[in-house]
Amino acid sequence: MRNVGIIGIGYTPVFVSKRKDVNIAEMISEAVEDCFANTGLGPDDIDAMVFGNMHTFEGVNMPHLWAADYIASLGKPVMRIATGGTTGMSAIHAAYYHIASGLHDVVMVVCFEKQSEGDSQVGLMGIVTPEIMAMLQAGIDISGSSGMGALAGGSAGAISFQASSYLARSGAGIEHIDGMAALERRNAAKNPYAHLKDANATAESVARTALISYPIRFGHICPTSDGATVAILASEEKAAELADGAAWIHGLANCASDASAGNILEGVITDPAEQMPCQLAAKQAFERAGIKDPKKEIDCVEIYNGFAHQTLMFLEKLGMCEVGEAHKLLDAGELEINGRCPVNASGGVVSTNAIGTSAMNRVTECALQILGQAGEHQVEKDVHKALSHGWGGLMQYVTITVLADKPRKG
Amino acid sequence: MEETRIVNATWDVSTFKYRIEGQGLTRMLSGMRDAKLIGIKCSKCGTVYLPGSFYCRKCHIEIDEAIEVGDHGEVMTYTVGYADVRGNPLEEPRVSPMVKFDGCDAWVMGALEGVKPEDVHVGMRVKVAWAEERTGSLQDMQYFIPE
Repeated sequence: MRNVGIIGIGYTPVFVSKRKDVNIAEMISEAVEDCFANTGLGPDDIDAMVFGNMHTFEGVNMPHLWAADYIASLGKPVMRIATGGTTGMSAIHAAYYHIASGLHDVVMVVCFEKQSEGDSQVGLMGIVTPEIMAMLQAGIDISGSSGMGALAGGSAGAISFQASSYLARSGAGIEHIDGMAALERRNAAKNPYAHLKDANATAESVARTALISYPIRFGHICPTSDGATVAILASEEKAAELADGAAWIHGLANCASDASAGNILEGVITDPAEQMPCQLAAKQAFERAGIKDPKKEIDCVEIYNGFAHQTLMFLEKLGMCEVGEAHKLLDAGELEINGRCPVNASGGVVSTNAIGTSAMNRVTECALQILGQAGEHQVEKDVHKALSHGWGGLMQYVTITVLADKPRKG
Repeated sequence: MEETRIVNATWDVSTFKYRIEGQGLTRMLSGMRDAKLIGIKCSKCGTVYLPGSFYCRKCHIEIDEAIEVGDHGEVMTYTVGYADVRGNPLEEPRVSPMVKFDGCDAWVMGALEGVKPEDVHVGMRVKVAWAEERTGSLQDMQYFIPE
């Protein structure tokens, strides 16, 4: 397969709760224009497009087609990707397949979410509608006060079972979730494209926020954001011609498994904190990238963490440390922006969550670190190889991308 | 000034008759009338599903061996809720565990009564508090209580 590199990145000027000054297509075009401005490229340089966002979150159909003028896609092949929380990274993977296969040379990826124009909870409800329908008929008490199948409410409710299981089995405490959230809010304060920023956040200040659903506090939870991200990927030959540098894709993988949420009708048999797909996908991506010991060879990590305990949990599942060790790395300061294993220097999903972009931003942020273009949130150590992770589906789908500063050999 | 328009609507869920609900869930509900939990066991890997699945997700084979599982079990994970589904604060925090019944592989959600949130822990033993008058509904299992 051919080498593929990321040669350009564009963001909307801000990621915030409500962009009321632009509609969806106008907002997306800001990121497209930013990417063209950053690269000096234009629509004529692009062979094909990949477009991604969450299904149903804005309640609009086929945004990839009606935004055609605004993403400069007229006369080009366009494919829409929607794999849930992982959408943005699946879109990057699709662009990779386009180029690595030899079908196209230069592909633009456009992802967005404008959550202020829809209802995410209604969108999420659509995932479990058949289950809920049958359970209602069978006498479930939707208020959750009695009866089998009491609901915990929304994604924060479902995720609290995962967080609680993780804490009980890793030896970490709720104070470590507080500390992880604080670290990421501080990192976000250095990133102009982050949403929730707090340069002075501490574990203590996060601990003062209200418990929503034990062990998850308000301060552990991602916002809903409006924003868009664009990236241009190119073959090795085209990258040499069009760009000064590139972040090279060395390995990628994705994996799904049994749903640990939303499958109440036929019995949930999986620990929501097990995350076997993450372990399998990481192993496969490392093999493809020729990485034998990720602890030594990976210089920085971007993890998809809608909730702050997931940074710690996924560090272990990805093999970046031993099981039960992530909170010790946090305590030792190793996860900080100037630490040995910097994680989510961008502030992570817990600080910025325009969902269609969230898994894509893990890749673009790793690319910026490799290119040395992350600005104030550039990590202190040299970055030769970086690991990005996406998570979503019914809590059981994971995408992985390994980037490096040089094209892959062989 | 933000304007919100509220549209009242109803959704008659009784008109949907999915094939899936006629299987393991129906079998479990009929057992609950007799204060029994009936799951389905995979003949190949031995996984016991509750409510019973008629297809083993691990082995990719059809399964149909009904098996009674215990109504005692272990808290595998739990959460404590402080608000109801509409976001209104609850008078008392509500403990919701996922429980693995003895002889069963499924993690079943429910409410846990009779224990303070700070005393709940993963690994604690609980049992089902059955309703006195049972009708073959999920409500027959009122909640969990400590063993």
